[in-house]
Amino acid sequence: MSETLDSPAVRVHGVDMAFGEGESRVTALKQATFEARAGELVMLVGPSGCGKTTLLSVIAGTLTPQAGEIGVFGQRLDGLGQEALTAFRRRHLGFVFQSFNLIPTLSMEENVMVPLLIQGADHGEARARAREMLGKVGLAGREESRPGALSGGQQQRVAIARALVHGPTLLICDEPTSALDKDTGAQILAMIRDLSRAPGRCVIVVTHDHRIYRFADRIAEMEDGRIRRMVDDPKLLDQPHA
Amino acid sequence: MYRLALNMLFGDRGKLAMLLCGLSFSALLMAQQTSVFFGIMSWTYTPVVNIRAKVWVSDPMVEQVNDAKPMRDTDLSRVRSVDGVSWAAPLHTSFLQARMPDGNFKLVTLVGLDADTFAGAPAEIVQGRIEDLRLPNTVMIDEWGAQLMSRTEVALDGAVTTRPLRPGDTFEINDVEARIVGICRVRRAFTGGPFAYTTYDRAKAYTLGARRTLSFMLVEPYAGVTPAELCDRIERGTGLRAWTSDTVIWDWSERSLARHTFWWFWRNTGIPFSFGTAVALGLFVGIAISGQTFYSFVLENLRYFAAIKAMGAGMGLLSRMLVFQALVAGLLGFGLGAGMAQAIGRVMIEKGMPPFVMFPQVLWATLAFILGISLVSALIGIVKVSRVDASTVFRG
Ligand SMILES: Nc1ncnc2c1ncn2[C@@H]1O[C@H](COP(=O)(O)OP(=O)(O)O)[C@@H](O)[C@H]1O
Ligand SMILES: [Mg+2]
Repeated sequence: MSETLDSPAVRVHGVDMAFGEGESRVTALKQATFEARAGELVMLVGPSGCGKTTLLSVIAGTLTPQAGEIGVFGQRLDGLGQEALTAFRRRHLGFVFQSFNLIPTLSMEENVMVPLLIQGADHGEARARAREMLGKVGLAGREESRPGALSGGQQQRVAIARALVHGPTLLICDEPTSALDKDTGAQILAMIRDLSRAPGRCVIVVTHDHRIYRFADRIAEMEDGRIRRMVDDPKLLDQPHA
Repeated sequence: MYRLALNMLFGDRGKLAMLLCGLSFSALLMAQQTSVFFGIMSWTYTPVVNIRAKVWVSDPMVEQVNDAKPMRDTDLSRVRSVDGVSWAAPLHTSFLQARMPDGNFKLVTLVGLDADTFAGAPAEIVQGRIEDLRLPNTVMIDEWGAQLMSRTEVALDGAVTTRPLRPGDTFEINDVEARIVGICRVRRAFTGGPFAYTTYDRAKAYTLGARRTLSFMLVEPYAGVTPAELCDRIERGTGLRAWTSDTVIWDWSERSLARHTFWWFWRNTGIPFSFGTAVALGLFVGIAISGQTFYSFVLENLRYFAAIKAMGAGMGLLSRMLVFQALVAGLLGFGLGAGMAQAIGRVMIEKGMPPFVMFPQVLWATLAFILGISLVSALIGIVKVSRVDASTVFRG
């Protein structure tokens, strides 16, 4: 990780990704090119179906594109095997999903422990760190509850704790607020920004919720499988959802 | 991670209960049916167990212990003259109709013992003494038989009571009186009826008309001569058939009378088939239910396994988690099922002497099978999880 400040944390260049064959072939990414720097929170916005989730999956290494280069903190992901990609995700990535994806039969604390245990951490140590992290997202005292007993906003806070507990260098959030109401969504995004901001960390948030654009350092606007433009100020974007 | 895998499994009590039901039901069916099967089959060679002789000698055509083809009394001296024979005693066995005090008939197994040595006498005598059989017209019956031959009495006030026969009671065999002088405890036989022990000579009186009464000879080898060796010598010297009396099903010798009896019943009755179907059904139902429930457990958690996979868990770790979950479920299911089988067996035992023998080997086999089912289910789950695309976690 010998990154200089101006070399990008995430670099996607000329990525093509299509699903299906023949008649039903859908092109999700067309020569997509995108960069995000360490220390910043970049939002990926655009209409539904424009390829945001696909781009995130490519960056996370869960989807392998047909063409293009992907580099994350200097590590080329294109060409890596499944095992290496898995190891890469384990070490460097944190996820926040639209649908939380908390394991319903485990307690909050156990859910947050998962990334640490996957890394082979000792149970007791993982537990202590999970508790600490749950405290940071304001859920101290609820460690033993099951996800089902919590509100959507609380569940997403648990998901944030889980995404950050192992100190990932890249945090990926796919529509983290779309299952939440407006105020809760704003709180969640504020929390993501406050907790995840670190000099060496890059945060990418996919959303089409323009009300949270203000939390971004930069915004990448997607359209039809490619990045149309990058802006520093949300006011510069058209606001089709207004 | 194993701890979390366990909590994932235990987290949903309803599903866990379903899973355990399937596994324990098949374990129960397997263990219970197999035990009853071995119980019934072990009853077929009950006389070998009850009579406790080292070597048995029979007519060469005899195939099993319940099949008496009587020999001449002179055969006894021929056997006695075989080198290595310490002593040889006659034994008579036959099935006879006995007339109960109330006039009903009942089939009894008459066992005639040598009055000098009482070779073949029951190991456990509950009431009376074996020597009392030397008194005229006396028999000793077994405890269970005493229940079967219970006697109904009408008191002066008209009250009707039924009680088991006891010493002092009499019945008749072929119009010859049989007075009970003792009660013994022996293992039940396949034929089910009471045992009536008497002396060899009196057995002749009870079976009036029978030309030959020497069903078997019980032989004791000299010290240093093994039963198998003696069998060889007797067969060579007399042309009769000689058997050893070992009854350990897993380890019985080529000449074992119990073994030949077991296989005779195996070949000539529908018992193996009917129990075979029950056990096969248990296996089949077990595979279906447990495989299905574990598979649905995996399916329901597939989304979370995918999330764990996205977070960087390799297939190695996920496979170990699934195998661990399956093995834990399998062990619990086995424990419950085998426990239930044993409880049912115990209840049966309390209600009398049931055909129920739970060999440890049966338990081990059941355990191996249940764990096998669990592992196969886990394997199917692993294939499923390995195919799931980690990026599905991004979809709503
Ligand atoms: N697994 C898939 N199979 C087939 N088509 C897909 C798949 N994933 C995405 N697509 C298609 O690719 C396009 C981009 O999808 P997506 O990246 O999910 O868009 P967004 O997240 O911006 O809404 C859509 O047309 C979608 O239907
Ligand atoms: Mg999407």
